[in-house]
Amino acid sequence: MEQFLDKLAEILETGELKEDSRLESFPAWDSLGVLSTIALIESQYRVNFTAPDFAEIKTVDELWKLVQARRAG
Amino acid sequence: MNLHFQDKRITGILTVLPEHEQKFVDDMKNFDFPQARSLKLKLVMGYDRHRLVTAGTSASDLAIFGFRHLFDKGLLVPEGLDAMIVVTQSPDYFMPPTSNVIQGILNLKHDMLCMDINQGCAGFVVGLIQAFLMLEQESVARVALVNVDLLSRKVSAKDRNSYPLIGDAASITIVERGTEPATIYANIRMDGTRREALIIPAGGFRLPSSSETAVLEDPGDGNLRAKDHLRMDGTAVFNFAQVEVPPMIESLMQFARVDINQVDWFLFHQPNKFMLQKLCDKMKVPYAKMPSNVVENFGNASGVTIPIAITFNLAEQLRSGGVTACLAAFGSGLTWGSMLLRLGPLAFCSMIDYR
Repeated sequence: MEQFLDKLAEILETGELKEDSRLESFPAWDSLGVLSTIALIESQYRVNFTAPDFAEIKTVDELWKLVQARRAG
Repeated sequence: MNLHFQDKRITGILTVLPEHEQKFVDDMKNFDFPQARSLKLKLVMGYDRHRLVTAGTSASDLAIFGFRHLFDKGLLVPEGLDAMIVVTQSPDYFMPPTSNVIQGILNLKHDMLCMDINQGCAGFVVGLIQAFLMLEQESVARVALVNVDLLSRKVSAKDRNSYPLIGDAASITIVERGTEPATIYANIRMDGTRREALIIPAGGFRLPSSSETAVLEDPGDGNLRAKDHLRMDGTAVFNFAQVEVPPMIESLMQFARVDINQVDWFLFHQPNKFMLQKLCDKMKVPYAKMPSNVVENFGNASGVTIPIAITFNLAEQLRSGGVTACLAAFGSGLTWGSMLLRLGPLAFCSMIDYR
């Protein structure tokens, strides 16, 4: 997960990212941020996300859990 | 579906670009977004400048300018054209077809088949397939495939989603019957259930343009556009390309029994640099084999981007020799198609400015 946090922090243009950080609190979490995150998840974990998938996700931890769930499924 | 063609070849490609060039840094002033985020967008998507028509220019104007250039330079003989296909989503009129308009203004012969096709970003592959099908007839020896779009006229300048990437352009591709040892392989797929991912909601017969359809609306993301404007669901389109294109190319290679490493150039539709690089990553194709510099220099001109990618990057190489090329195009409809063919040597391969 550490690697995921690092990459996500890069996309969100922040130095520090915690598990309970709220995605919406970052100005960089806009359409470009979402797209970059979809691409990250796709390339690193071979999981296809769509924009509506993010609707129910509030925190970094929730995002990570959904990635894991999709990977397992 | 899989398609294959024998004894057909592309003999020349000309692209016509409007002279007017606009910079992304100037477009930014119209967007209601922090400047830093817009600059990030520029960096990631590869936005820099784009070519746009000025008011009063129509699709036929760009095409006619290109044909006259070819006639004047002796690169094409008017009597030699047996068919003309115009692929566009910005026709001069609903009625008559733009291909007939061009034929009439150029005084081309009556013994000719003119046809308009409504296709967007997949328009080059769809147009080539139609040209090859026409060439199955003995009466048709040479087809002019015109791809032209002026969609900047249908995009809101306050829409950061679509405006910075859009470009206007036309291309003329000459396709002939001739002895060509290599078979051309293609495949094409469509999904009309996803038709709203790329749509201009108003202006047709379902919802005619009115003062109401011209009202700018914010769908919730800070981008202002009206029903008269092109609407692109950016992430849906991104997902579509990433999910559908790599398996399509894999299936094309299997159908053609060609190893992907034997392809010299991957000449793909040019939505933006980001999307193309992600496709390369997924297909394990080196970035150097897939030009992705069309949007930053000219903008995304729908079905014209593959001809622009060819004439901008490979002109020298294709005038003297040949390459194995894999084309792929994907866009509104949704429509996605690909083609594997030998390309070149071409009698002409160049780009000119419309004045």
